[in-house]
Amino acid sequence: MKKVLYIIIGTWCWLLTSCSSSPENAKQESELPQIYPDYLGVTIPVNIAPLCFNMADENALRIDAVITDSHGNSLHSQGDESVDFDLDDWHTLLAQNLGDSLHVTVSAKYDDGWHTYQSFPIYVSQDSIDYGICYRLIAPGHEVWSKMGIYERDLSSFEERPLIENTQFEGCVNCHSFNRGNPAEMSLHIRGPHGATLLRHSDGSVTAYNTKTSQTLGLCVYPYWHPSGRYIAYSTNNTNQVFHSADHNRIEVFDSASDLQIYDVEKNELLLSPLLKQDSIYETYPVFSADGRSLYFCAARAIPEGSLQLDSIHYNLCRIDFNPETGNFGNRIDTIVNAESQHKSVSFPRPSYDGRFLCYTLSNYGQFSIWHHEADLWLLDLSSGQSRSMTEANSDDTESFHNWSTASRWLVFSSRRDDGLYTRPYFCHVDDKGMATKPFMLPQRNPRRFYRDRFLSFNVPEFIIRPTRFDGHKASRIINDKSRKVFGVRKEPTQ
Amino acid sequence: MKIICTICTFLFGVVVLLFFGWAYPHHLHYQEQYQLFLFDSTYVWEIIKQPGGVADLLGRFCTQFFLYAWVGAFIIALLLSMVQLLLLRLVKDGWFYGLSFVPSFLLWIFLLDENALLSGVWAVLLTLLITWVIFRWSKGWVRYVLLIVAIPLLYFLVGPVCLPIPVDSLWHGIHYYRYPADFPWFLWAASLSVFAIAGTFLFFHRAYHRTVPSMVLSSAIVATGMGIFVWKNSNFKAEKVMQYDFMARYQQWNRILETINDEKPNNQIGVTVQNLALAKHGMLLDHMFEYNQNGILGLLPDVGTDAISPLPTSEAFYQLGMITIAQRTVFEAQEAILDFQKSGRCYKRLAQTNLILGSYEVARKYLKALQKTLFYREWASETLPLLGNEEAIAKHPEYGRLRQMLYTDDFYFGDHVGPEMLERLYFRNTENRMAYQYLVAYYLLTGDRESLNHFISVTR
Repeated sequence: MKKVLYIIIGTWCWLLTSCSSSPENAKQESELPQIYPDYLGVTIPVNIAPLCFNMADENALRIDAVITDSHGNSLHSQGDESVDFDLDDWHTLLAQNLGDSLHVTVSAKYDDGWHTYQSFPIYVSQDSIDYGICYRLIAPGHEVWSKMGIYERDLSSFEERPLIENTQFEGCVNCHSFNRGNPAEMSLHIRGPHGATLLRHSDGSVTAYNTKTSQTLGLCVYPYWHPSGRYIAYSTNNTNQVFHSADHNRIEVFDSASDLQIYDVEKNELLLSPLLKQDSIYETYPVFSADGRSLYFCAARAIPEGSLQLDSIHYNLCRIDFNPETGNFGNRIDTIVNAESQHKSVSFPRPSYDGRFLCYTLSNYGQFSIWHHEADLWLLDLSSGQSRSMTEANSDDTESFHNWSTASRWLVFSSRRDDGLYTRPYFCHVDDKGMATKPFMLPQRNPRRFYRDRFLSFNVPEFIIRPTRFDGHKASRIINDKSRKVFGVRKEPTQ
Repeated sequence: MKIICTICTFLFGVVVLLFFGWAYPHHLHYQEQYQLFLFDSTYVWEIIKQPGGVADLLGRFCTQFFLYAWVGAFIIALLLSMVQLLLLRLVKDGWFYGLSFVPSFLLWIFLLDENALLSGVWAVLLTLLITWVIFRWSKGWVRYVLLIVAIPLLYFLVGPVCLPIPVDSLWHGIHYYRYPADFPWFLWAASLSVFAIAGTFLFFHRAYHRTVPSMVLSSAIVATGMGIFVWKNSNFKAEKVMQYDFMARYQQWNRILETINDEKPNNQIGVTVQNLALAKHGMLLDHMFEYNQNGILGLLPDVGTDAISPLPTSEAFYQLGMITIAQRTVFEAQEAILDFQKSGRCYKRLAQTNLILGSYEVARKYLKALQKTLFYREWASETLPLLGNEEAIAKHPEYGRLRQMLYTDDFYFGDHVGPEMLERLYFRNTENRMAYQYLVAYYLLTGDRESLNHFISVTR
């Protein structure tokens, strides 16, 4: 019996060693390896999941990678399709190299044998990243949707969990939003026959609301929480869609009317201002400043009703004062970034939580930049008022929705640079001077297989500081129940 | 006695084969086009980890063969015959012999519905198989213990068919039927009949004896009664519509003309396909009024938000050279598949449209997925080298021609394709005779003489 056991253990050890043997007689190449995703020279947070990768070309029979540091530690992985580093060993290595760099040496086996490429660095930032991100997974379609849902992903591992999926009710789900990444304060929209806005309050209760009122355009969308948790800024949009016959951009999503309002969670009433619901202006994408005393938003001159001169819709970045104590608005609107004068358009303003910067998307026109291949990220320095293109993070393809980590040092953003259609989340570090690093794609165990097999876009990536512990079954019961709490409207006009 | 049993089962199988292969083949094509079976471990795991997943996986695996209707018909005939034979193993006595066909007939009726999935048949079959194994190899209390243990196991493997209680919450989310909200009553009836027949036999089995007349008579009664029920529940109107869609998919223009000459179509899909075939033969303007027309809805219907009607319309858009519109239509149709499956037909067309439009990385994504299939693999492998190869695409008889027709001036469009879009298409490439025919047909169908005269005067 013992003999059999020894034979089994011996065979297993032999198999293990033969599978993970280092490349022998490898030809030394003078160039850097072409890997997928491109992790060459990226800066990563210490608590990120292993950066597993494939060879960019698909002819490689095996891939091997050795990561070394300046302390003599190393990490090795070898595989048929991808390298897959041990999770614990990876985190240990990163923790040992905080603020330092790692060197990755990649070898690939082809028909003619092993090739070893020049090693490349990976920088380990001293700034850690939040627990995870939350996003919607949906096919990049037009009007109809198949299976979709809201999911959360632990950034330090590969674990992805659904919060809620549209298999649990009839309709679609969108606009998930958290108060500075805190899942205790959360907003979620349901569309379709069971339409509602779900609010999760800090006491854990979930309420379904009907956000449509007689004094507003329609349902509230694009939520953004006030830092106090008492208010949520919304826009209401009459959204339309048309298709291009012969353009690199396939679709135009545009508003034919839109207004802004703020919801007072405590008093269950919407705060309206005539300045934010002008017929001649499209107002959208409201966000609070870090101190909660300003409301930033995008605003464009409206085009004549029925007109399809969509390329003449240029949104500026604007700001209005907001008094959180009284819920009153200021009496003047300031234009912070005049994109119209450059024949450009601003969308998705997102102030950093430390109050230093505001990141926004700049495209040629309109506000739905995910369908604009030319859309790029720009960074506004709120102290100097100067904007600049984040060339370190941008690509030739679409960069669109983005969000700050709670420490305001990491930015997650949507990009279509991978294949031109399916949106992937990327991360880059932004230092206190506003300089960004080369972004890296959300890690997966076998990235090529994962991203190629997934026919879904990662929509609206939002950081979360801990697991949401969202009870999807309970939420679906609330959704499928007909009762809705109706939004009230503050009676006296707010100024 | 055994020979009679064999002959009866064989005859039943042959009738099922002939029915699905000869009278109902396009229902099988329809089923195949709304799923995409991948030889991929992640795909398999995602299915079998769900309750009823094993039956679902086997159902999907078999459905891919429905691309070839006679193969699909053979599979159905085999499965239904096996259900009958397994029940017969449990129920051997004379009058019960005829009743052993009842579940198979009910499953047949279940499959007449285009939204019924083969997983239901596999679920009944696997339930019977495991029950038979338990009865065959155990006795006394062990048998009862095994049966009790088998129920939760079977629920996980095949779903609630193993315990036919019509409680919606038990059946909800089990992939037996394409409409998740609908209850598959005939499947439930089939599984209930298995329990009822087997249970009744086990209770009364000493009272009956196997005799040839009782077997033949009971079989004849069941076959007649259930046969009428099958015929009454068959939807040959839907079969005809599916036939038109199938012929358009495989560009069988001659066959379409033969079919419309035999019987003029009077439904939207049939008329759309009829006009497409006439236009492909250059006969649309001369012969369109010899057939039923449905206004412009029979020429180029507005894009719907369902999974069925947009597909033949998208064939017309594709053949016309309206590639962006065809792409959008197919994408939406696939998204509208009710049970969230993907479609081999749609993946193929999306790969083609992206290739023609030069979105090579997106096309590659579809082609790589199709390489994991049994029947689309070869085509995908042949198409992959074309990506990025502008010269080869230009020389390609289909893609090269369609590229010559692509719009070059950009404009916006929505769900409705109007004459101005056809006019732009024609003036983009005046060799596009289909665009010419469709535009003139559009004016004729709307009675817009002024525009027609203007267009003719311009093109003279």
